[in-house]
Amino acid sequence: MISSFTYARPKTLQEAVELLAKPGARAHAGGTDLLGCLRDEVFSAEKVVSLSGLSELKTIVPSPLGLHVGALTTLAQVASYKPISGMYRALAEGAAAAASPQLRNQGTLGGNLCQRPRCWYFRGEFSCLRKGGETCYAYDGENQYHSLFGPGPCFIVHPSDTASPLVALEAKFRIAGPAGTRTVDAEAFFVLPDAEVQKENVLKAGEILTEVFLPAQAGLLSTYRKVRSRGAWDFALAGAAVALVVAGGKVAKARVVLSGVAPVPWRAKKAEEALTGKALDPAVIRAAAEAATAGAQPMSGNAYKVDLLRGAVEEALRAIA
Amino acid sequence: MRSDLYFLAAIPPETPRPEGELPPWGEVRIVGKRLPRVDAFERVSGKAVYPRDFSLPNMLQAAILRSPHAHARVKSIDLEPAKRMPGVVAVLGPSSPGADMEWFARPKAKGGLLLDPHCRAEGDEVAAVAAETLPQALDALKAIQVEWEVLPFVIDPARALDEKAPKVWDEGNRVADPVIYERGDLAKGFAEADVVLEESYRTPCEIHVPMEVHGSVVAWDGPRLTVWDTTQGVYAVQGTVAQRLGLPLANVRVIGHYMGGGFGSKLEAGKYTVIAALLAKVAGRPVKLFLSREETFRVGGNRPANAIRVKAGVKKDGTITAIDWKSSGTPGAYPNNTNTAFQAADLWTCANVRTEEAGVYTNAGRARAFRAPGFPQANWALEQMMDALARAIGMDQVAFRLKNVPTVSQRRGNQPYTSTGLAGCLGEGAKAFGWGTKPKAPADPAIRKGIGMAGGIWGYGGGPPSTVIVKLFSDGSVNLNMGAADIGTGTKTVMAMVVSEELGVPVESIRIEHADTGTTQYATPSGGSKTVPSDSPAVRAAAADCKRQILKMAAAELKLPAAELKLLGKEVVSAADPSKKVAISAIPAFQRQQLVVGIGFREPNPDGKVINPFAAHFAEVEVNTRTGEVTVTRFLAAQDSGRVLNRMTFDNQVFGGVVFGIGFARTEERILDRQTGKMLNANWHDYKVPTALDVPADQATLVVDARDTANSTNTKGVGEPATIPTGSAIANAVFDAVGVRVTEGPITPQRLLELLARQKARG
Repeated sequence: MISSFTYARPKTLQEAVELLAKPGARAHAGGTDLLGCLRDEVFSAEKVVSLSGLSELKTIVPSPLGLHVGALTTLAQVASYKPISGMYRALAEGAAAAASPQLRNQGTLGGNLCQRPRCWYFRGEFSCLRKGGETCYAYDGENQYHSLFGPGPCFIVHPSDTASPLVALEAKFRIAGPAGTRTVDAEAFFVLPDAEVQKENVLKAGEILTEVFLPAQAGLLSTYRKVRSRGAWDFALAGAAVALVVAGGKVAKARVVLSGVAPVPWRAKKAEEALTGKALDPAVIRAAAEAATAGAQPMSGNAYKVDLLRGAVEEALRAIA
Repeated sequence: MRSDLYFLAAIPPETPRPEGELPPWGEVRIVGKRLPRVDAFERVSGKAVYPRDFSLPNMLQAAILRSPHAHARVKSIDLEPAKRMPGVVAVLGPSSPGADMEWFARPKAKGGLLLDPHCRAEGDEVAAVAAETLPQALDALKAIQVEWEVLPFVIDPARALDEKAPKVWDEGNRVADPVIYERGDLAKGFAEADVVLEESYRTPCEIHVPMEVHGSVVAWDGPRLTVWDTTQGVYAVQGTVAQRLGLPLANVRVIGHYMGGGFGSKLEAGKYTVIAALLAKVAGRPVKLFLSREETFRVGGNRPANAIRVKAGVKKDGTITAIDWKSSGTPGAYPNNTNTAFQAADLWTCANVRTEEAGVYTNAGRARAFRAPGFPQANWALEQMMDALARAIGMDQVAFRLKNVPTVSQRRGNQPYTSTGLAGCLGEGAKAFGWGTKPKAPADPAIRKGIGMAGGIWGYGGGPPSTVIVKLFSDGSVNLNMGAADIGTGTKTVMAMVVSEELGVPVESIRIEHADTGTTQYATPSGGSKTVPSDSPAVRAAAADCKRQILKMAAAELKLPAAELKLLGKEVVSAADPSKKVAISAIPAFQRQQLVVGIGFREPNPDGKVINPFAAHFAEVEVNTRTGEVTVTRFLAAQDSGRVLNRMTFDNQVFGGVVFGIGFARTEERILDRQTGKMLNANWHDYKVPTALDVPADQATLVVDARDTANSTNTKGVGEPATIPTGSAIANAVFDAVGVRVTEGPITPQRLLELLARQKARG
């Protein structure tokens, strides 16, 4: 059951930031994750601050340098907006692969990036590390959906299907807060549990992710391959976002970013190295897919994910080649 | 066998024989057609009032406090803080009057209590609150102070019989002595075999997820209790509630007009109904008590997981020489059936069979009847084994099975089946599916296609008792009055079609009253795929009784013999001379009487025979060997359910059964935490019911009507047989595609990748 809270719908970003800076305040964008967390008592809220009055967060603005996508753009819009599906296919595919049609109509890009993890201990009646408790239950428990990469001591996987594509596309995130605005690389937005075990990103009290900027890159090719247990309404068992700049038949630059296997979108740098400077032939693709598994540390129940992510990377690269 | 089936009482059921035998219908006018449901508009427009939607004036809302632990004892409980919370009107705890009534009867020892201080599974009921609003009731639950003694638990059935395993019950974890059945000579059978295979199979624990959660609204009127329940059987609920509360049956009225799915989980009265009744008694006000979705995941019931070891022998000519079957399962912490052996001993011809079945208690949520209890599990093991045997002797899977189709029930003393369409399902199904034509290999060598099939039998084909009343009004409109629940299968629609067929009145002029112990007639719960074969003959008999009476009156008026007359809706016409006719509104005797009441009873089943529906399912799958993803690309279900009364609701049932089977085969599985025994996936997201994208668009049904004559409507039932061979057909298709045998379901990317990795390691 949801415990009582007050509700505010500020008209300006400044007002929203001030409201969110207060203890116990929670931002409400699409609300698809917020309501679940409140109902399941993952966390509580004293004040829920709706962002729905901030129309400047709902725009998509092209510029010569790239595309500015407001954080309140719905996943359905991201998936179907032609300039995104054309130039930044991995992002459109990630948004389209998330959740279900109803949730994509309601959920926002910013919310998808800031959603809390789906670990069943975190979501369930367990006082786990991420909720301020003493233990990670997944380590000795049921960890078939947990991470292969990362330093611990918490073994969540990041749940977003848009985060890995955005890291691959070298997006930049604009953040508004009490101290003004700042911009961080998508990759630097997400934090590992050894740095911050109770947070998944760098947002501080009062800060709001307002915009995602997608830089224009000539020769950019990208795709996202997600593997899940059922056809819809399911998070990734593992996924791979690949963004390549191809010039003269060779890979000039590569980003391979994994989802569903680490507490953050996980850059498979060995795979990127295996691709750079090469033509995308089957042997190179297989070698890169193999390299993507380097450093994986399976737990008792998730060794299958090593094979799975190798397959996901191979299929993503085959889709581009 | 009879006693193995959950819906049969110890006393053989019987109702009076109908007056006069009804011959099978000749040419039919309406039965068998594709007709939309009589209540389709109400259901899709939201006008249908389900119990969850139902409210009474002055009604309180209630909620239940449950054990958060898999195994624990209440050391102390303080209800006082809850009683002081705003809006709270009634609070019950383990010491409250009535709370110590025994709930789960066990054969040899005391069962659990209604509110039991010894909690043997997560979600066990400990206390309850009724308040003005649901949020107030939920807040009050949080105010109840419980001091728990957390006890060691066992959730792994394979470990539950270890000497050191924690005991769910004081006398140990064995549910009952193993049930053993033997025929022939197993050793001789294995000696005769050219090939002997042995394999262990495991099936997942599936959770009941009906769209409408479990619950009731209850109201007392002096000593009389009325219950609006979401149930498959109003009379079953009436019986239990009356017995537990010490009330005469006549003082318990249970109403269940609309209900949002049960699948076996709503065959019996729930604790929630009796808890609501006790709260309502204390409060002196009506009480509504519905479980949350999360509660239904934990306590709404499940299909028990089974572990089945099969050893079977076959000759090169396809003769099955021996089947040795050992099955165990866990009903959770409270008794329920976990049996699987019937199919192994009855589906295919085999002279030498031994089956052994056992159940063990674990500290987990209780099993419940679950769309063909035990049958998909048994089929998963048996039909994968048959597939492997056929491959081992190089025989086509369909041909192998066709060679072994029995004409008698070997498990039940070689009694003949009243009809068997098993060979038809196999042969005609294979033809319709295009069996034998290998699917075209995809261009990408990592993507493999395969086809698989499986046969199946369901254990029962309906029978007495059933009593139905049909009332014919003076204007020719009709009231059909029956106790059966329409659990979403289209029961109301097909029964109205039976009345229409018999009386010649259009379906639209038939009003249906059903599922109310106060105003409608006795019916067993709608379960066991037996509502149509049990109740439709009684419906037909009641309509025929009406017809007999009206024809007799018309005969007097027309001065013709009644045998010469036909009732065609609002007219009675002479079959010999159609110019001789009379409108029923013009029959003086009928107009004086104003109403004709027809009573129909279900005739007994034929002696010395058994009635069973049969099926064969055919699947085509695509397997991605890189990712372990399995897609069911094509499916055909051939069903022998006797006569089909409505092809549209029949197709609904078969498609629904196949979707159910896809969940069993591919996605659904309860996950318990090994550290705490708590269920980890008790929500819609983590417990993965198949979505529309998991179901093939290319899905077909095939009616194989073996022309059964065991009852007057020639029907056998379809709801459960349509889900029995589904999972096995898919597993066999996966083997065909990639050559690995997925013995442990469901076939997730995880399991398949692990097996493919092992296959690769073996080379």
